[in-house]
Amino acid sequence: MPNFFDLNVHAYPETDVPVEELLSVAKRYGFAGIAMTNHDDTMSENLVSNSIFRGVEIRANSSSELKRKIKLHRGKVSLLAVHGGNAKINRAALEDSRVDILAHPCGEKGEGEGELNHVLVRYAAKNGVAIDFNLNAIIHSRRGDRARILLKMRENLKLVRKYKAPMILTSNARSIYDLRAPREMIALASLFGMRKEEATSALSDIPRGVIEKRWKKEKEVEII
Amino acid sequence: MKFAFCILHFALLIPPSLRGRRRYIVFELMSEREIDKKSLLKEIWDSVYSLYGDAGASESRIWLIEYDGGVGILRCAHDKVEEVRAVLACIHSVNEARVGIKVIGISGTIKGANRLRR
Repeated sequence: MPNFFDLNVHAYPETDVPVEELLSVAKRYGFAGIAMTNHDDTMSENLVSNSIFRGVEIRANSSSELKRKIKLHRGKVSLLAVHGGNAKINRAALEDSRVDILAHPCGEKGEGEGELNHVLVRYAAKNGVAIDFNLNAIIHSRRGDRARILLKMRENLKLVRKYKAPMILTSNARSIYDLRAPREMIALASLFGMRKEEATSALSDIPRGVIEKRWKKEKEVEII
Repeated sequence: MKFAFCILHFALLIPPSLRGRRRYIVFELMSEREIDKKSLLKEIWDSVYSLYGDAGASESRIWLIEYDGGVGILRCAHDKVEEVRAVLACIHSVNEARVGIKVIGISGTIKGANRLRR
């Protein structure tokens, strides 16, 4: 069985669940490691296990603010994610090769007006920015909302396949009840048309590559 | 009389070769509070209807065999296992209590499913 990773979970102090508890549940579910990506205003310094990767999810309102924050956090954390959802932020994140992950490009609950297009996904492939498919949005929505989210994900998947951009599946968990086992995540991904092999590699091989900076040209950032 | 009995018997008990093939999904439920079987079943059906609609729900042939407050066994059609897995993964709360469901294993018989429960 491959080593599975979940690269977007939020723990204490952003949420009320300690990261150790999230890790123990994730391990029981079959994950090899998780990346704690709290938003940049609620970061935590101490990490106990080497199965937890240190990350940050940058929230910004403008591209200049995003650039400033990337500069601030770069080198201090092993994973740089950007809180997507806004068209301008999506574009600024995908154009910047220092970013590792663009989290939920269509908004956390699928409400964002920002959409990916062929130009942006081509940038993602060129700069090695992984595009995140946030399964939490599918789990927590119903009916019309879910149909809209699945449609957006289907469209994004088509573009990602065409330009061979890295894609990852994440839970975006804020509690232990939001985590899902890898097989369940693969089944959820099949709802928007992702094949089983694609989903497996989006949970194991590609996240490993994102941590190792496999798609980056210069590799000066060390894995902490 | 004998003929009537035969018809009745046939209606009640379809021969094994004609019964639909089934799979038994053993799952583990993690929840904030204790969840009873009735409300879990309601939530499972809500999730199936929401995800696959009435026609899809009838194809999946879901039946909750047993649930004892932590681990349960769910029966479904043998070719709908992945769909049912997605249905279970979509359940996020029962009676306002947050829950998470993980599939432990899948078996073709109740006996095998009980072995997986240990």
